[in-house]
Amino acid sequence: METLDFLATGFSVALAPMNLALVLIGCFVGTLIGSLPGIGPINGVAILLPLAYAMGFPPESALILLAGVYYGAEYGGRISSILLNVPGDAGAIMTTLDGYPLAQKGEGGRALALSAVASFAGSMGALTLIVLFAPLLSDLALKFGPSEFVWLMTFAFTCLATMVGSRPLKTTIGVVIGLLLATVGVDSGTGILRFTMDIPNFFDGVDFLVVVIGMFAISEVLVLLESWLRNDMKMTPVGKSFVSMSDLLAVKWVVLRSTLVGFVIGVLPGTGASIGSAVAYGTEKRFAEGHDDQFGHGDIRGLAAPEAANNASAAGSMLPMLTLGIPGSGTTAILLGALLMFNITPGPLLFEQQPEIAWGLIASMFVGNIALLVMNLPLIGMFVRLLSIKQSYLVPIIVMLTFIGIYSIHGDSFDLYFMVVLGVFAFILRKLGFSLAPVILGLVLGAVLEENLRRALSMSGGDWSILLNGPITIGLAIATVLAMVGPFILKRVKKQK
Amino acid sequence: MFDRLFAGALLCLSGLIAWTAYHFDVPFQYEPLGPKAFPLILSTVLAACSVWLLIKPSPNKWAPTSAVIVKLLSGVALMTSYAFLFEKAGFIVSTAIVGTVFCILFGEKPLRAIIYSVILSIVSYFLMKHLLQLNVPTGMLFGG
Repeated sequence: METLDFLATGFSVALAPMNLALVLIGCFVGTLIGSLPGIGPINGVAILLPLAYAMGFPPESALILLAGVYYGAEYGGRISSILLNVPGDAGAIMTTLDGYPLAQKGEGGRALALSAVASFAGSMGALTLIVLFAPLLSDLALKFGPSEFVWLMTFAFTCLATMVGSRPLKTTIGVVIGLLLATVGVDSGTGILRFTMDIPNFFDGVDFLVVVIGMFAISEVLVLLESWLRNDMKMTPVGKSFVSMSDLLAVKWVVLRSTLVGFVIGVLPGTGASIGSAVAYGTEKRFAEGHDDQFGHGDIRGLAAPEAANNASAAGSMLPMLTLGIPGSGTTAILLGALLMFNITPGPLLFEQQPEIAWGLIASMFVGNIALLVMNLPLIGMFVRLLSIKQSYLVPIIVMLTFIGIYSIHGDSFDLYFMVVLGVFAFILRKLGFSLAPVILGLVLGAVLEENLRRALSMSGGDWSILLNGPITIGLAIATVLAMVGPFILKRVKKQK
Repeated sequence: MFDRLFAGALLCLSGLIAWTAYHFDVPFQYEPLGPKAFPLILSTVLAACSVWLLIKPSPNKWAPTSAVIVKLLSGVALMTSYAFLFEKAGFIVSTAIVGTVFCILFGEKPLRAIIYSVILSIVSYFLMKHLLQLNVPTGMLFGG
């Protein structure tokens, strides 16, 4: 019952006029950003974050806005996947497999409508699970001490390394680079300066926003420059947009299963929507064995599964971010960084001390998803027309917004130069097959990890065995080892079959 | 090849980090671990990873044509000059110039690029400065 009280508090925050307006703006901008090929949810959130910060919103409002952009983008990503065969973001890659063939058959409208409903069902299902599990998880996390948190973060990094990116080794390097960036600046324990190279701008540490914008938005501009070709993508005609009852009934179990799969993968630290949708698609294909010859040729099951799953993982990745302070994906890592900038430490205490933030966000996601369903059924035509906006008009806007955003934080040109340098560095990383999410995760968690490690060892007087002193730490250590070797063993077993 | 170069650079970097961290001057310290240990652990991990990458690099098919390299370099130069001009020339002037060049880089005709960027910079200036009340530099030209 207590949960319902908190949820009511949440809705009173989410339905306050300004927050309601921000949810709608966030969802609208998110759908827009998701549907434009090239700028995914991470870039959208990154570009808007400094603007939200500089405009002086209260933390819960800023978070509501940015989260709206995040899950809105998961809706938007499917539009260009279905109509252009170009995924709007990484979570929508699987949607192209069956969505585009449907559009080619002249059933684009049907595909868009069905996938909107699947996205909605995925989000709502995952949100319900969040409401059920958030209090349990935060109660459990209240028992966590520094050693437990050290293990939790190690577990998160291990999951990230073995499940994301081209090679575990490269992901690990990315994480370490992020963790090292986090050590720059004055050390909180002793007050000495670390790795500042005598540049005063680094005494406070590297600015999280500058790193995020530089690594994502600026490197994205370079990627767009490199891959730019004359804009001659043919838009498939949309046809009539409608939701048919028989379609919905045909995919109801698919959507339910995919929601669960997406949610679980979203909750696992480090793994986000792109993996969720891929696993859900694979699962459904296996379930349909014998009747799967339509998969890849415009099967509505193959369309509904990844869409339900990527929205469910986007919502699911909020759960560990809010309750444990461990982000479930790259984008939630940025949201976590945003909270830290507002001097709010996510984690178990957030639910006790500032329920309006945690529950306000959760409630706003219910509101936002209803708004998104409305936006994506009748208003779909408008987003489709926006797809034809030329990159030559889009890129100057992106560059302008990043520069305004960064400049308005400190009013210092140094940040702008540093941002460009980081953008070039990130571009090189991307070309070498590194993913950027691990770097951001490392940067966000670096200070927390070091602090907990040092606190744990102060408690034990320098004895490292404190890291394995209780059932929870040992359990987490075993989970970490499993996450490390599990995927390799699975691969072996599959090969032998 | 790219991987090997990068791994070599990372190996040097990890050495530098370890050396710097080892020589931190810590006048007093109340806890057993101190500010040195964490960077030292990280640089060890980084060094181990770079050695591994050095031995087993992944193939990389990235082979940009000279046209692409020129485009990338001009993009970087353009953003650097934007950073340089942003405060000095002010938002409107710098955005109009940089926006125009970006438009052209993405295949727009010069005249249209100029018209688009000038309108974009003026409209966004008033939107950002007065509606959203952000800190946008006016520039010396307009008495900022």
